[in-house]
Amino acid sequence: MPDVTTSPRLYHFAAAFGAGGLLTLMILFNGTLAVHGSLFFASWVPHLTGTAAALLILVALRPKRAKKTRPPLWTYLGGVSGAVTVMLTSATMNTALALSGTIALGLAGQILFSLFADIRGLFGLPKRMPRRRDYLSLTLILGGSLILIFFGGSA
Amino acid sequence: MIFFALLAILAGMLVSLSRQVNGRLALSTSAMESSFWNHIVGLVFITVAALAFGGLFAGDPLASPWWAYLGGPIGVIFIAAGSWLIARVGAAQTAILIIAGQMISGVVLDIAMGAPGSPWARAIGVALILCGMWVAQGDKATEK
Repeated sequence: MPDVTTSPRLYHFAAAFGAGGLLTLMILFNGTLAVHGSLFFASWVPHLTGTAAALLILVALRPKRAKKTRPPLWTYLGGVSGAVTVMLTSATMNTALALSGTIALGLAGQILFSLFADIRGLFGLPKRMPRRRDYLSLTLILGGSLILIFFGGSA
Repeated sequence: MIFFALLAILAGMLVSLSRQVNGRLALSTSAMESSFWNHIVGLVFITVAALAFGGLFAGDPLASPWWAYLGGPIGVIFIAAGSWLIARVGAAQTAILIIAGQMISGVVLDIAMGAPGSPWARAIGVALILCGMWVAQGDKATEK
């Protein structure tokens, strides 16, 4: 695998930034479900409606498979990891960590493991050596995020 | 306390792990198919867990407003976007740019909904994030 050193292009920024906006909406919507129903319900419902929506989109668009060969079975298990995440965060949110601590530590775990995965090229994804400017941008964005989480009233 | 702190860090690592595994599946299939499998496998897993622990329909689940049910379809696009991005800009860039979008849109939502919070902290936080994004875009000379 060649090292990927390309900086993100404008459309990558737009996609990631847009995805972050969608995440804010998801947290608002799923959190509203959790106000009235159980935490299981608040994760079960979006998975159910999401499965239906994804199926509809697949049937409508019929995206081509990138490769003819079957992917390894473990690649289908990403959803398990996502579902466990919901249970872990529901557990830690109700401790002294609260929502802000849960999110802040979660960001740290996410970034550290992502850097490790990029450097090692884990799970058959392209290797990518972070450059100095990558660490600088990570630090700035993480710092800004922590300020928002602990002082901005944003959670 | 340290135990729960480690759990919170682990939760963040699992977010990244999930995106990597989905991204690998998307390399062989497509971002949308990867998102479909993520949701249906997660659904089966949560259903089994809910049956084991009980309490899926506890409380008053039908009291939520209709728009609260839109999280699922939005999540489909979100997971597909993550799977598409991670193979192109790497796990760390994907994570940090999504976080940037999440944080800034969160501030906009908080202000729109009149949530309390320090305007100064919000301004400084957003400014730092925008600086970070500006740095991340890089100079074209280093691109292959």
